[in-house]
Amino acid sequence: MATQQGDVDELFDVKNAYYIGSYQQCINEAQKVKRKYAVVMDDIKASSSPELQAVKMFAEYRANEGKRDAIVAELDKKMSKNVDVANTTFLLMAASIYYHEMNSDAALRTLHQGESLECMAMTIQVLLSLDRVDLARKELKKMQEQDEDATLTQLSTAWVNIAVGGEKLQDAYYIFQEMSDKYSPTLLLLNGQAACHMAQNKWEEAEGVLQEALDKDSSHPETLINLIVLTQHLGKAPEVTNRYLSQLKDAHRAHPFLKDYLTKENEFDRLTMQYAPTATA
Amino acid sequence: MLTKFETKSARVKGLSFHPKRPWILASLHNGVIQLWDYRMCTLIDKFDEHDGPVRGIDFHKQQPLFVSGGDDYKIKVWNYKLRRCLFTLLGHLDYIRTTFFHHEYPWILSASDDQTIRIWNWQSRTCVCVLTGHNHYVMCAQFHPSEDLVVSASLDQTVRVWDISGLRKKNLSPGAVETDVRGISGVDLFGASDAVVKHVLEAQEFSKAWELDTCRGHYNNVSCAVFHPRQELILSNSEDKSIRVWDMSKRTGVQTFRRDHDRFWVLGAHPNLNLFAAGHDSGMLVFKLERERPAYAVYGNMLYYVKDRFLRQLDFNSSKDTAVMQLRSGSKFPVFSMSYNPAENAVLLCTRATNLENSTYDLYAIPKESDSQNPDAPEGKRSSGLTAVWVARNRFAVLDRMHSLLIKNLKNEIVKKVQVPSCEEIFYAGTGSLLLRDADGVTLFDVQQKRSLATVKIAKVKYVVWSADTSHVALLAKHAIMICNRKLESLCNIHENIRVKSGAWDESGVFIYTTSNHIKYALTSGDHGIIRTLDLPIYVTRVRGNSVYCLDRECRPRVLTIDPTEYRFKLALVNRKYEETDFVTPDLSLHFVKDEKTRFTLALECGNIEVALEAAKALDERGCWERLGEAALLQGHHQVVEMCYQRTKNFDKLTFLYLITGNLAKLRKMMKIAEIRKDMSGHYQGALYLGDVSERVRILKNCGQKSLAYLTAATHGMDEEAESLKETFDLEKETVPEVDLNAQLLQPPPPINPLDTNWPLLTVSKGFFEGAIAAKGKAGQMAADMDVDAPGGEGWGEDAELQLDEDGFMDAQDGLGEEGGAAKEEGGGWEVEEDLDLPPELELSAGSGGGAEDGFFVPPTKGMSPTQLWCNNSQLPVDHVLAGSFETAMRLLHDQVGVVQFGPYKQLFMQTLSRGRTCYLGLPSLPCLRGNPQRNWKDCGTKQGLPAVGLRLSDLIARLQQCYQLTTAGRFEEAVERFRAILLSVPLLVVDNKQEIAEAQQLITICREYIVGLTMETERKKLPKETLDQQKRLCEMAAYFTHCSLQPVHMVLVLRTALNLFFKLKNFKTAASFARRLLELGPKPEVAQQTRKILAACEKTLTDAHQLNYDPHNPFDLCAASYTPLYRGRPVEKCPLSGACYCPPYKGQVCRVTQVTEIGKDVIGLRVSPLQFR
Repeated sequence: MATQQGDVDELFDVKNAYYIGSYQQCINEAQKVKRKYAVVMDDIKASSSPELQAVKMFAEYRANEGKRDAIVAELDKKMSKNVDVANTTFLLMAASIYYHEMNSDAALRTLHQGESLECMAMTIQVLLSLDRVDLARKELKKMQEQDEDATLTQLSTAWVNIAVGGEKLQDAYYIFQEMSDKYSPTLLLLNGQAACHMAQNKWEEAEGVLQEALDKDSSHPETLINLIVLTQHLGKAPEVTNRYLSQLKDAHRAHPFLKDYLTKENEFDRLTMQYAPTATA
Repeated sequence: MLTKFETKSARVKGLSFHPKRPWILASLHNGVIQLWDYRMCTLIDKFDEHDGPVRGIDFHKQQPLFVSGGDDYKIKVWNYKLRRCLFTLLGHLDYIRTTFFHHEYPWILSASDDQTIRIWNWQSRTCVCVLTGHNHYVMCAQFHPSEDLVVSASLDQTVRVWDISGLRKKNLSPGAVETDVRGISGVDLFGASDAVVKHVLEAQEFSKAWELDTCRGHYNNVSCAVFHPRQELILSNSEDKSIRVWDMSKRTGVQTFRRDHDRFWVLGAHPNLNLFAAGHDSGMLVFKLERERPAYAVYGNMLYYVKDRFLRQLDFNSSKDTAVMQLRSGSKFPVFSMSYNPAENAVLLCTRATNLENSTYDLYAIPKESDSQNPDAPEGKRSSGLTAVWVARNRFAVLDRMHSLLIKNLKNEIVKKVQVPSCEEIFYAGTGSLLLRDADGVTLFDVQQKRSLATVKIAKVKYVVWSADTSHVALLAKHAIMICNRKLESLCNIHENIRVKSGAWDESGVFIYTTSNHIKYALTSGDHGIIRTLDLPIYVTRVRGNSVYCLDRECRPRVLTIDPTEYRFKLALVNRKYEETDFVTPDLSLHFVKDEKTRFTLALECGNIEVALEAAKALDERGCWERLGEAALLQGHHQVVEMCYQRTKNFDKLTFLYLITGNLAKLRKMMKIAEIRKDMSGHYQGALYLGDVSERVRILKNCGQKSLAYLTAATHGMDEEAESLKETFDLEKETVPEVDLNAQLLQPPPPINPLDTNWPLLTVSKGFFEGAIAAKGKAGQMAADMDVDAPGGEGWGEDAELQLDEDGFMDAQDGLGEEGGAAKEEGGGWEVEEDLDLPPELELSAGSGGGAEDGFFVPPTKGMSPTQLWCNNSQLPVDHVLAGSFETAMRLLHDQVGVVQFGPYKQLFMQTLSRGRTCYLGLPSLPCLRGNPQRNWKDCGTKQGLPAVGLRLSDLIARLQQCYQLTTAGRFEEAVERFRAILLSVPLLVVDNKQEIAEAQQLITICREYIVGLTMETERKKLPKETLDQQKRLCEMAAYFTHCSLQPVHMVLVLRTALNLFFKLKNFKTAASFARRLLELGPKPEVAQQTRKILAACEKTLTDAHQLNYDPHNPFDLCAASYTPLYRGRPVEKCPLSGACYCPPYKGQVCRVTQVTEIGKDVIGLRVSPLQFR
């Protein structure tokens, strides 16, 4: 993810496709670049090994649930030493792991050392998950000063706008809309649009967008979650909602939404114990 | 200056515009007069009769006439329809300089080098007046447009104004107001007074009294000057080879137009339109001073356009047209183009100067609300630049005068500069892209990546029109249209002879465009054609169905109707790829050809007499009727043949037709008609056809064929008649002819069966269209059926709503009064808590923000999440559930409606929770971010949010129907489950008004009644019925069931059960009361009949055999646990949610109806609306 300086960014399409969630296209484009711009790839290779290692670490973390604690421990060790601040990839991967670990403090601390748009975008996401819209806006401003037109800056603007709500929701919608017009409507963009619509209580509009997303991938977890929200707001029969829920349970058992859901179920059971009728029949 | 049309010819000395048609006359130095159509750019006619230069030329305003005056001293009046000179007026003795028609009288005014001005009457073709006085060549003379004045200018350095009122009066038609005539005759005594010189303005005087302004600039003789008909401008041209435009108020030249080699000689202004013409040494040109194309932009249903320094907004749907803002003044040029940004509600207005380098654009934010009468004039941002176009929500591209591309933000600051290939114009091309036009093509350019994506070759594109989904684009050049796809791959090219003006995409993907005189269509396949003709150019803004929305040159929004059948049909062909040959038949074309003549011909070609008849009726031309008659005769369609003969008054053929069809009555009528028409032979022929001998004799006699008449009479044995005829013979001169003794009777055979109906025809297989139309009709009926069904469903809904009667509403209001008071205090308590909570939070966030700036990074603490705010802002249980705060939600439900056993609520809680927050993806491979839809998102700010609920009262009411159906079907346990689900959902509602609160409470009541009744019935069915006591108990329960408040359809069933059980138990008196109640409900006839029988049986012995714990006359509540009556006044405990009644011993137990609440619990009451807390 090293940013190349210069007027024309040959990796533009690759990165762009990656950010907006068009992964298949991303791979295609990357292969195209590989063929066409072997020189560029050589460039990356020369300095790539620490970065690739970072990616490997993240991949390992994601793949093996059992090894996670060990990986985090090792990462903590690495972080306590001097870190190569220029290695954006390492920072991003480390922050990602911390974020997955719900250790937002460590994630932010890691990201704070980086200067790249990617680091800032991730910072914004972490801040938003902490409900610190005020700080996210500050960070966004920094991003905008660096490159307002970058895809990442635009996306970050949309995230912040959704969190701010009110009139900003429409702006956020336009950003997603604009990108799907410009590139192609990916699941990421469609769900973004749906989130904007739903935040504005435009349920019918959201239905169209989510249907499009569902057509693209019938088991995409975020789409399913949004459909669970939407079908209820549209007043559909509970069976419809339940179908999406069981679909989600089948395909994405480890999704945070379901983890949360399970926690809540347990909490409910626990709380129920606190109540009882004064007399029994 | 925009040149519309140019001609090449000999020197042009005179010009005249036609007031209505797009025509101009040019009189040439070589004696030829040319008639041009400047819109079609064609020479219509040439008139070559003058000898030598023709200087005077003028169209008549109404008649198809024009007048010319030449150096051959002749004035010629021409008719352009007849294409010839009607007559020549002779009288002038030298070159004629100008000739003009009077606007009203049949007069021609001519000015000549013979120092006279003459007035001619072109009807009487005489000279009516000679105006003498100038003592040099008269260069020009014109009538005043409204008064009886003539003005003339001469080389004697004077301008004279002549009063011709005398001439007018003298020329009044005789019998007009007499006094006037007398008055004139009085004046007449003093000699020639037809025209009197009123003023003489000499050259020196000009400089004193009459010269208002001098415009200096031309450096050779000025040939001609005219006032602009509508603006404060003067146009002049000169032998210095230039045309100049002068501003009268500023007294300065504003525009100059030069030619290299040609001296200008004459100028003409169109009387109505913004058009001028100038004649020079080698031809002439028609031009206008400025563009008339309005600047406009379309977004969704809105049209934005500029009119008179205002930006206006037109809503296509409501046709509401409002001025939304006033533009900054200061530019003398009209707005050239517009780009609208819906996200920011901002516009870019580009203004082109004569010198392109001085062009500017303005960026305005359109005010949100505006008074249409007096709209705001917001401060715009102006910069120089040729064109400005939005490329993103917050970015626009500017093509500056150095032809480089700048990207700017909403503050009009340059964000970046983009190196582009040579480019003269830029166009919108969707987000992040632009179309760049260079000398010979258009390039699709990605602004962000700074690279060209595709190029297409087309010269001088002027406008670009994208389809609504940006899948197609039409590139409009002066005489060509190219349609491309999103990737700028050319799909088709269309060449137009006439200028292409504008276009828009219709919903089906057909491009509708206008030329100067047509509305046309183009399919992406390249198929194109004319839809209709236009009188004046229009600018299409949108096409929807058969409406074309457009702006005219006065910037008035208009809607034209078009017939889209043809292109729709072709589109269908293209899309469905039918075998084309099958469809190119006249039969098919008939359905979309509207021109009657073509339609008629086509109909005949395919033998469709009915359609041809319709067309013929519309056309009503003899030729048509004849052709139709022939065709119809071939088909044996003799009724149509008859009509054709009648229309063409073809009596012979008509008579013969009646003969062969055996229509004797009409044949006789024809004979009568022939007689009236004095058509002897026709008359005789008719009589012959009819076999009417006496008539024939009469005819022959009347036309003087005495001998033939005699012979006819004699031969047919009409002796009396023959005798009387014989007597008339003058035997000296005439001989009585011999009667042929062998004569045979010649009589037409009498028709056995007159042919009233048409010749039988073979059934023709139905064409594609008729089939398609018929099928469509059927589909329509199906839809209608569905509609009929639909009200049935709604009928149920109405019933359910009827159930929510007024009583309940009243109760609810009473309750509200008291509870409202209590709630207020509580609300206050919450507020206090909120105040206490918030300040530390705020301080914390401020503190941590400061820490970050110090360099040492302190991770921020968690902020206040919207869900926490929801809990703080509301005391409605559902808001807490949505926020995931089950603990508080449970406490609220416990306190409000006494829920003590939450098990059954688990499903509802989890479901509600799952709709509280949406998802959106942040960075790849990170957990998603969560959105929080709020019901008051528009005005909640950061602190006052409340979640979107997602459970509506109307949905719950709709769900009742399912329960009713289950009840009818007898599936009681399922029904009870559903009723209970509804009942439990009610406390999780949020409603807006008192009526809805009452409805929610009524909903609970309905559910309760059904649940109590149905559970009791289920219970009853399980009970044994062996002993009498057991049977008595069964009857009691059945009787109680009839006291639950149910839908009539269910009550009928319940009453029938009770009636049967009581009848069997021989409790006839009570049974009779059930029977009567049943009949009151109006059951089905067979049920009613049976009930009446039972009732009659009961009434025989109106007694009850057994004593039961049931008194129908004493009102009671039913204990929902023991199923025993609780007569009024006895102690009772109620369920705090459902309101179900219980005997006191059940207090503290779980309600049997809700299965969640505690019987007799002291609670606040149901809370489903913020109103209940005020």
